[in-house]
Amino acid sequence: MRIWGFILVIDSYLVSKGVVALLNRIHGVRVLKEFGAKESFVPYLESRPVDFIIIAQHEFQRWSNLFISKPELLEKTILLEDVSTSDFQTSINLMEDRESLTAKIRHLIDHQDNDPESHSMELSPRETTIVRLVSMGLTNREIAEKLFLSAHTVMSHRKNINSKLGIKSISGLTIYAIINNIITLEEVSSLPAK
Amino acid sequence: MITREWPMYRVVLENLQLLPLLPRFNLKPGFGELSVDEVCRAHGVNTDFFLEIANAYLDELYVPGEGLSLFSLGTMVNYISATHSYYKDIALPTVENKLHRLMGHSKLSEKEINLVTTFFNDYKKDFMIHLSQEEERILPYVLELEKQASMEKPDPEFIQKLQTYSIREFEQEHDRLETSLKHLSELIIKYLPPFDDLQLCHQVLNDLSMLMKDLVDHADVEDKVLIPRVAELERSLLNSVSSG
Repeated sequence: MRIWGFILVIDSYLVSKGVVALLNRIHGVRVLKEFGAKESFVPYLESRPVDFIIIAQHEFQRWSNLFISKPELLEKTILLEDVSTSDFQTSINLMEDRESLTAKIRHLIDHQDNDPESHSMELSPRETTIVRLVSMGLTNREIAEKLFLSAHTVMSHRKNINSKLGIKSISGLTIYAIINNIITLEEVSSLPAK
Repeated sequence: MITREWPMYRVVLENLQLLPLLPRFNLKPGFGELSVDEVCRAHGVNTDFFLEIANAYLDELYVPGEGLSLFSLGTMVNYISATHSYYKDIALPTVENKLHRLMGHSKLSEKEINLVTTFFNDYKKDFMIHLSQEEERILPYVLELEKQASMEKPDPEFIQKLQTYSIREFEQEHDRLETSLKHLSELIIKYLPPFDDLQLCHQVLNDLSMLMKDLVDHADVEDKVLIPRVAELERSLLNSVSSG
């Protein structure tokens, strides 16, 4: 399951902690970092992937030059308003109740899910087939024969799988395959291949 | 936030999740009325360092940074080594032992037991390789770098090595060790048939979850504090040599 990383740019300590409490109750959301008054969040944005920025209204105005120079940031920005006047599309309001806030954030996440970039670490259909066959105990050579591929191609798929998932061992791949419903427990080979 | 004046017994009593941290500082319960500062001093532990690590451990949102930059790299290397020993000598053997007992008393098929056992053995092997690579290559290098940087005339041979090697290379190899533990927990909770020894099953899941959290915190200390500081020191040492 994908985890969505949020950063908060809110000068009020109490409000910031409140937003953290709200987000922590939403499944699949992780608050990566909070930024208070006068703290620059720009270096952080450059250092690691951030899915959403929740920013207080006057902080947003303070950083307006940044948002003008990097309009792509607006796509991941959620404005936290103290008064509901703005016509900014994605905004939440300080006075809103929990259900409404949660629903809005959920909606944003589900919407964002179409972003192709977020799936770059997922396996291709071919790679999924190979993980399945590895879990069934087939050797690279057997997989090559079965799929009409060269042994070299299978090896290179295996390498890509390893680097995408960060899993090296066959037993690790097997358990990954089970919990991702690529294979059932019954189909797993009884003797792990070496 | 824990502070130095607090009685140590209260710190631990109210935050039992700190227990796995204690052996890394050679501290054992039985603190009496002594304060955090008094306990640390009595055991030769840098109080500020202990507080920084303990508070980081308790605060889910803590991003290590400024606070930890006040300490010498030597202090950090000691802590990292002690944490490795905790994983090798306590955390991993404990969960392994319980996992074996759980498998032994279960109605799982031979195939299922084999799957879990092989998985854990492979995981342990990877884990040990990861730790020993850090201990043999990275930590001695960090200590040597700090020593050379403090010298008036650093060893030319070391400087030469520095021009081709950087700690940043290590960052790329830094695997995520906690992911596999999460997979194992999910396998137990969702896919394997229920275990008769519920108590033992809970213990295994609890141990796995604690170890996962510990590994995430530990990777944070290494990736967000140690590596940036070492990289900074590498740069300033190279600059001082080329300008001097």
